[in-house]
Amino acid sequence: MSDGKAFNIDLGRLKSREKDRSPQAIEKAERAGEDLGFVAREAQKRRGRRPSPRTGQVHAKVMPEISDEIANEAKRRGVQQGVIIEEAWALYKEKSGI
Amino acid sequence: MPTVVVASPKGGAGKSTTAILLGTELAHAGASVVMLDCDPNHSLTLWADRGPFPDRIEVLSNVTESDIVKTIKQYDTDGQIVIVDLEGVASRLVSRAISQADLVITPMRATTLDATIGVRALQLIAEEEEALDRKIPHAVVFTMTKAIRSKQHSGIAESLAGQGVDLIEPPLMERAAFSAIFEFGGNLRTMPAQGNMDAAIENAATFAQAVYKRLTEGG
Repeated sequence: MSDGKAFNIDLGRLKSREKDRSPQAIEKAERAGEDLGFVAREAQKRRGRRPSPRTGQVHAKVMPEISDEIANEAKRRGVQQGVIIEEAWALYKEKSGI
Repeated sequence: MPTVVVASPKGGAGKSTTAILLGTELAHAGASVVMLDCDPNHSLTLWADRGPFPDRIEVLSNVTESDIVKTIKQYDTDGQIVIVDLEGVASRLVSRAISQADLVITPMRATTLDATIGVRALQLIAEEEEALDRKIPHAVVFTMTKAIRSKQHSGIAESLAGQGVDLIEPPLMERAAFSAIFEFGGNLRTMPAQGNMDAAIENAATFAQAVYKRLTEGG
């Protein structure tokens, strides 16, 4: 079996042409392809909000003003009410040494 | 450094085999080669995982429509040859890869069906050349050819040549070693002998040299 090089590569002779990588150029190439049936075939990203990882549930009734305060604070911070409860629980654990 | 895109919307035309033979032979001749596996079947990755992995080759898996252009750009400037193995369908990924090519190779079995579908890649290149106002060098290589050339092969070759299509000589013949490279990984020199290895190596090396010649002539 032959193990010698059939030819040698001269890296200096390999030339890369200037290519337009602007979004406009890529769009032109895509449009040219679409007319010939070269269309997007990869699954598109799922639209909309991703499902929340918070799937646990507590069954707590609290005094009306407390529920209002929790709701207002969650709204102000743009988080779910469960985040407030998680933080309260973390503080409780810290305080109680759990 | 040049980007070589291996493209045909026809499945089973020999794209991944062509990409691997080209990459391993160019690396054996001294080039650093980055191979982009854009095929959802992950043929290049399957080959790469078989090992032993040849020197001077890197394989990047799962290159998709959204990152093909930036991945080519990343490796196009640092002294390496980029080889892009595409999926065997007509997709936007193919359009994007061709837009970044220094040479497009369309592997084609010498059958009417392969030629008919393979020609769509050549049409796409022509359209992109016009849209981008840039010459995109391209060539056809016949794959899985027999020692005795069929009339069909001669007819298709004549027809393509008549239309000004660049045909790479030699074609890649149907050889046990070429298909077994997916079983053993590595390159033709490291794998266990499959049939006439000297002839297989000479075929692949001469093909790679013909591609190298095209890459050095451009500019």
